[in-house]
Amino acid sequence: MTDVADVSPYESHALDDLSAGEPLLKVRNLVKEFPIRAGVFRRQVGSVKAVSDVSFDLFPQETLGIVGESGCGKSTLGRSLLRLVEPTAGTVEFGVEDVTAASKKRMRELRSDLQMVFQDPYASLNPRLPIRDIVGEPMVIHGVPRKEAKQRVGDLLARVGLLPEHGNRYPHEFSGGQRQRIGIARSLALRPKVIVLDEPVSALDVSIQAQVLNLLDEIQDEFELSFMFIAHDLSVVRHTSDRIAVMYLGRIAELADRHTLYDEPAHPYTQSLLSAVPVADPRRERSRQRIILQGDVPSPAKPPSGCRFHPRCPIAQEKCVTEVPELREIAVGHQVACHFDLKPGETLIRRTEELGRTVDIAGR
Amino acid sequence: MSGAAPLLRAEDLSVTFHAKDSQVRAVTDVSFEISPGEVLAVVGESGSGKSVTALALMRLHPRNTEITGDVEFDGMDVLAMSESEMRAIRGRDIAMIFQDPMTAMNPVFTVGDQIVEAIRLHNAVSSKEAWTRAVDLLQLVGVPEPQQRAAQYPHEYSGGMRQRAMIAMAISNDPKLLIADEPTTALDVTVQAQVMEVLHDVKEATGSAIMLITHDLGLVAGSADRVQVMYASRLMETGSIDDIFYRSQNPYTKALLESIPDLEEDQETLAAIPGNPPSLTRPPRGCAFGPRCSMAIERCVEKQPELLTLGGTHASRCHRASEIEVEVELEGAS
Repeated sequence: MTDVADVSPYESHALDDLSAGEPLLKVRNLVKEFPIRAGVFRRQVGSVKAVSDVSFDLFPQETLGIVGESGCGKSTLGRSLLRLVEPTAGTVEFGVEDVTAASKKRMRELRSDLQMVFQDPYASLNPRLPIRDIVGEPMVIHGVPRKEAKQRVGDLLARVGLLPEHGNRYPHEFSGGQRQRIGIARSLALRPKVIVLDEPVSALDVSIQAQVLNLLDEIQDEFELSFMFIAHDLSVVRHTSDRIAVMYLGRIAELADRHTLYDEPAHPYTQSLLSAVPVADPRRERSRQRIILQGDVPSPAKPPSGCRFHPRCPIAQEKCVTEVPELREIAVGHQVACHFDLKPGETLIRRTEELGRTVDIAGR
Repeated sequence: MSGAAPLLRAEDLSVTFHAKDSQVRAVTDVSFEISPGEVLAVVGESGSGKSVTALALMRLHPRNTEITGDVEFDGMDVLAMSESEMRAIRGRDIAMIFQDPMTAMNPVFTVGDQIVEAIRLHNAVSSKEAWTRAVDLLQLVGVPEPQQRAAQYPHEYSGGMRQRAMIAMAISNDPKLLIADEPTTALDVTVQAQVMEVLHDVKEATGSAIMLITHDLGLVAGSADRVQVMYASRLMETGSIDDIFYRSQNPYTKALLESIPDLEEDQETLAAIPGNPPSLTRPPRGCAFGPRCSMAIERCVEKQPELLTLGGTHASRCHRASEIEVEVELEGAS
């Protein structure tokens, strides 16, 4: 077996001038709005602000986790980086190249470096193609000779824990976990630099989920990959990510390395979110206090004024209603978008009490 | 648990689906009890038989389904009842909350009307009285402005609110047993916390027993009294919440617990379970978990292990259960 991590004749050369320590991806003020149309003439009557003014960097070989609840824009963000949906405004720089300005042809070349793994392993594989064609297709499109492509498909399948002879089978013959392995093999085919993983394990059972997470961990080292790991499960994100961005209604609420984010969350939303996650340990569960946020996440078609979290925030002030909080750095590498961020060691419960307000707490 | 008569007792419950030329045994010889006021969690991965078990208790199953064994609910033989007798119990004494409230509710009736229907089906009250009760129920489960919300249709509710409305409907007749099948799986984590809180409050207020079916061990840790773990149609282990989480004597339970990433601790690699669950159409002769089990010996391939009592309510289905070391309990340390 040839070393699959080693061949890379199809790269886009977008990173050739990248100096050490520079981010691979620079996302600046990214906006994605979907029009809402109504009536006979399909007039635009509004827009869903899925991603609003999002900026971050992705460094070589790091995993950046993006967490948030449904409708927070995390998937749209992932897709707009690869221009699978066209961003409304903002830029995405891959090395020195502006992805958002690339021509269609150039974009195709860039996609050999920027790949994606989707959530639903049932919907993201063509049911009419045998596995070898699914995994080999990217290589054929990028002009890899058939014979070489065939060889590499076998190697890739072996690398993700399948047998080379599985190449002749069709997607329906595989379980969910195996299909996700196939999706991973396909994303690796062109030896990319960055893989956007959109909820890669959320459709899988826990025992299978752990297998896939371990596999991702191994290939990241072996193929020297940067991951953008999009998920709603905070335990999974903590396990996989070096740095984590918490999104709420299209904006980044907080961004920090994983220890800071989980140990000293500064945004009231991050604290409530973390407290709401059930932990598979009855003793810890008995001693935990769970902050119960009021209401639901508002519609991104009509986001609240000012800080988008203010209607559910137990410590919101006048300023939060009128003024959008900027994402600012409160410590090295720790950014938060809150006018009244929580200090290290300070709990949301205590701050709420100091304000003479009450917060709904569950705990037995 | 002993002493007081159980509310529900299932013995050797098996459910088989017959298809054209194959059959699938979705539940195999499952025996358990639920006491009044108790929260029993049934955990397992997809296809383990946890939902089918619950549907069999309610006798909600498709045609071509064969159910064997005994189910006794409140002194009644559930499997021997006529359909009309069953209908009198369903929704009154045993109520169910489904995973997806959008498909479980009727889209062409208002939420209030649907709760009214549930109430009037089992009680001789006027529609006006029932409506007042429906509004009270919505208030109880935390639906804001229940007067106005009762007159709205399910699509006008958000996912979390719809699940609250489902709970309101389920408890409208003060059921003795509430079966909640993945009640929060479709919800976001902050909304899940709200709904679990509502379920907890409902239990306190009505004293009903809850059978919580879930794949989420975190949810179990925070809400159940007793747990039973299912794998490939069988009960693998059953016991108190501490038996399962701290004194498990079953390799599957232990492996399952170890494969979950921790919210608060760093882990290098996750202890994944190799392989895939077995096919239910062609189940292995021996222990269904055998092919994936790190402790498997020859005996596990040849012979199906029995569910053996280890003490109290704790029982495990494993040939080597007695060899599994139990974590030494350190009081106060965690």
